[in-house]
Amino acid sequence: MTRQIHPLDKHLRLERIPTLYCPGCGLGIALGALLRALDKRISEGTINPDKVLWVGGIGCSSRMVFYVNYDAAHVIHGRAIPFALGAVLANPDLLAIVTGGDGDIAGIGGNHLIHAARRNVDMIVLMFTNFVYAMTGGQVAPTTPRGVSTTTTPRGNPEYPVNAVKLVGSLNANYVARASVTTPHYIEQFFYKALGMRGFRFIEIVSTCPEIYGRHIGLRDPVEMYSELRKRVKYKHKPSLEKAEIDWEKGIVIGEFVERSNPSLIEILKGVRS
Amino acid sequence: MQALGAQSSILSRATGKYRVSVVIDRCKECGICIFVCPTKVLVKSSVLNKYGYHPPDPVNIDKCIGCRLCEYNCPDFAIYVEKVV
Repeated sequence: MTRQIHPLDKHLRLERIPTLYCPGCGLGIALGALLRALDKRISEGTINPDKVLWVGGIGCSSRMVFYVNYDAAHVIHGRAIPFALGAVLANPDLLAIVTGGDGDIAGIGGNHLIHAARRNVDMIVLMFTNFVYAMTGGQVAPTTPRGVSTTTTPRGNPEYPVNAVKLVGSLNANYVARASVTTPHYIEQFFYKALGMRGFRFIEIVSTCPEIYGRHIGLRDPVEMYSELRKRVKYKHKPSLEKAEIDWEKGIVIGEFVERSNPSLIEILKGVRS
Repeated sequence: MQALGAQSSILSRATGKYRVSVVIDRCKECGICIFVCPTKVLVKSSVLNKYGYHPPDPVNIDKCIGCRLCEYNCPDFAIYVEKVV
């Protein structure tokens, strides 16, 4: 039988490891960093592991909820945020963590993202940006940069991409940050901070996808794609929302963009703060 | 039939300071650990795991500085660094 060897094994469903992810996929790096932050919070006693709920929609990154040894729900495409909202309203003690890709959260579930941020619902949304709908075969996503040829845009993407950090930051969200899988210590740091806050917390994690997105832009090798992404990532200390650019040519700015202490939906409903 | 101790076979090397262990059957040979190691401790080994991948081998373990970048950057929870006490 399986026995615990890796330091994070107690947070994983070992019968499902190794994961379904392709070799060199950045999602596993991010999952490790998230679990390290959660482990730190649990060992400090600030979070009860029985109250943690992971919710994922459809996609590679949403499958992350299969591998964590916590209560988890796998729901229909784009509807992970409404499910988490219902769970939190029914049981306000829950800590809801929503994982999903850019297609799931910003594309199909884009409307839910906007309104959950506007209402400042108590949940953490982790959006893994790989610039493409990877699991379904590499179709164009709302974050795909202009000019990239994908399965559905063979002559190059003619549309402008969405910047989810600017979008969510312009609403009522309490915490908006962006990290990259090439800087796992920042994922850990930002998620650790988000776990200690209330309200809507949004972290965008720029991920590598050597198998599908790498095929479209000519970086099939995991190490090559990792090093190309690492060259483009720039950390800034508490940058403003205007600086939150995400562009393969001009660079990807990571950091904590927004930090507010607005009353959250649960606090308003309970009458703690209005 | 699954081989006995399928997920527990570990490739481990240690010096007086640090021990680097590789869980052989979890590795997918992406090479990120070999790339991120600042002192080039890891080298691709000739061992084949049950999925047909070559896991890394911490050959130059005496150069290890214990930064744990390989552990932090491994997507498959296959490598970890411990302090030897």
